[in-house]
Amino acid sequence: MAYILQQLLTKSAALHPEKTAVWARGRSITYRELDERSNQLAHLLRRHGIKKGDRVGLYFPKCVESVISMLGVVKAGAVYVPLDPQAPPDRVGYIIGNCGIRALITKEDKRRGLDQSTLALLEFCVMTEEAAKSSNGTKIIPWSMLSEFPGTHAPKVVLTETDLAYILYTSGSTGRPKGVMLSHQNALTFVEWCAATFEITSEDRLSNHAPLHFDLSVFDVYNALEAGATVFLITEDLALFPSRLASFIETQEITVWYSVPSALTLLLLHANLNAEKLSRLRLILFAGEVFPMKYLRQLADLLPHVELQNLYGPTETNVCTYYEVERERLVSLEKLPIGIACENTEVFAVNDRDEIVTQPGGTGELYVRGPAVTYGYWADPEKTAKMVVPNRFQRNFEEKIYRTGDLVQLAEDGNYYFLGRRDSMIKSRGYRIELGEIESALLSHEAVKEAVAIAIPDDIVSNRIVAVIAAHDGITIKPSELQQHCGSRIPKYMIPELIEFRDSLPKTSTGKIDRVQLTQESIRAASQPASEAVSQ
Amino acid sequence: MSTVNQTPVTQAPVLKDQIREFIMENLAHAKGITSFSDDESLMESGVIDSLGIFRLVSFLEEELRVRVSDEEINAETLKSVNSIEQLVLSKKK
Repeated sequence: MAYILQQLLTKSAALHPEKTAVWARGRSITYRELDERSNQLAHLLRRHGIKKGDRVGLYFPKCVESVISMLGVVKAGAVYVPLDPQAPPDRVGYIIGNCGIRALITKEDKRRGLDQSTLALLEFCVMTEEAAKSSNGTKIIPWSMLSEFPGTHAPKVVLTETDLAYILYTSGSTGRPKGVMLSHQNALTFVEWCAATFEITSEDRLSNHAPLHFDLSVFDVYNALEAGATVFLITEDLALFPSRLASFIETQEITVWYSVPSALTLLLLHANLNAEKLSRLRLILFAGEVFPMKYLRQLADLLPHVELQNLYGPTETNVCTYYEVERERLVSLEKLPIGIACENTEVFAVNDRDEIVTQPGGTGELYVRGPAVTYGYWADPEKTAKMVVPNRFQRNFEEKIYRTGDLVQLAEDGNYYFLGRRDSMIKSRGYRIELGEIESALLSHEAVKEAVAIAIPDDIVSNRIVAVIAAHDGITIKPSELQQHCGSRIPKYMIPELIEFRDSLPKTSTGKIDRVQLTQESIRAASQPASEAVSQ
Repeated sequence: MSTVNQTPVTQAPVLKDQIREFIMENLAHAKGITSFSDDESLMESGVIDSLGIFRLVSFLEEELRVRVSDEEINAETLKSVNSIEQLVLSKKK
């Protein structure tokens, strides 16, 4: 049994050396090549001073080198941090500083886009493509240098399952993203449960739709490696176009698909899906947001041969519950359950009286315990202490449990159902978004006095984001200027699509901004015809 | 509109202006982007995302009255203002 992630590769490379491990952008590499290249990269990183536990950033669009890099970093004993190649340089710079990344695996145009103050933090960059020598202080190492290092074995590093494997950054309510620390054990708990439950074999062909900084990709990459299967990394040029994507699934004979529901809804609405063309597809997993029942029913009807699984879990636990869609119940089911706990994971709801909910109908905040649960947030003991708390429900030994912040109900059928959030975190296209992070981006503009970001429920993407602003007296500013300002601080999927201006924002009796009233007004405005809607 | 003024206006064709203006006002601004050129890849610069594509297609169908098939919704046809103009022109012939 593997206890560190790279052992999954070692096993499959021995069993299926000439089999394709990774495909991306028309290129592919075999298991033998993946094993050798990642060994070489690990040696290269060690030679340049990377030690056990050091953080290495991966900052380039998806390609076969992405998977080589993930494995190369963990083989060096280090921790990889996938950085969103689309994120503004300011945010990437923050993350690099926050978790102390000293080495980056990147591409020339991405490196060049970083701020000088960020580059100054880096000791060296490994370039996935050949690049000119650096003009500033950072040492540049071309990918071709890999060939100077041994590919037959990885460097000797003592690692245990409790060592960190990667850090995934998610939106933070105080205005800056927070880094969820995941150990080898965290990842393998999930990967091994998936391998057993979904019976992934070396014959399977897995898609990877999610970006690599998104935890859905952990299944795609590591469950492919675990089984000796092939993972197909889906890049933007494919992901954006449903009709292309559908023919890709068909021609590459994808057997296992995992994505956010909104990606499936777009396929459903715009790609003429049919069971005959997708006959090889056997399993669809979805997670990250609530799948609207009407589209799920359509998908289930259209692909009667495909098993459908709803996975649930915040990045801090990867996945902690699942529900296998029961087709015969789909017509009567009003809401999709998030299901029951995965193996080797315990979940329970805690009600307002701080008791564990045991009776059907009871509601409470969902807590998670077990080896899948994160240690917490990098360099943020305060936030960690709030979310990863001592287990007060058993006192025989010390352990931590994770508060998801999600309100759930335990139903008659034994399943949990998601009800909503305790705080102002929302989902859009499966991305976790803290409205507070958007508000703090808006407030960082000198013209803005008050700002509220509001989520408008949406059929396809779960939520759309708008904002209501009060500017400082006498200052006028265009919505597009504010949106541009946001674009320099937060990812595009977090920028409000509409910004409304008011002289002042309504207040509650305690003097706080009345979010409830603003939210209701915005939702009402959004449901009116476009010409009447509050707009720019 | 300010967006039109940013580009050289020597006999700017009306259709291209309409397309550019729609993309600027409805898609680019919401992504924090305030300028793009007519041959720039709208996907690469992040102006158009998965939902943006279908807002653009609705605009082409409803405002410009051209029918766009699912197969035509691809990275080449919808790459840039210029390629979108080409698509519309080819439909109007």
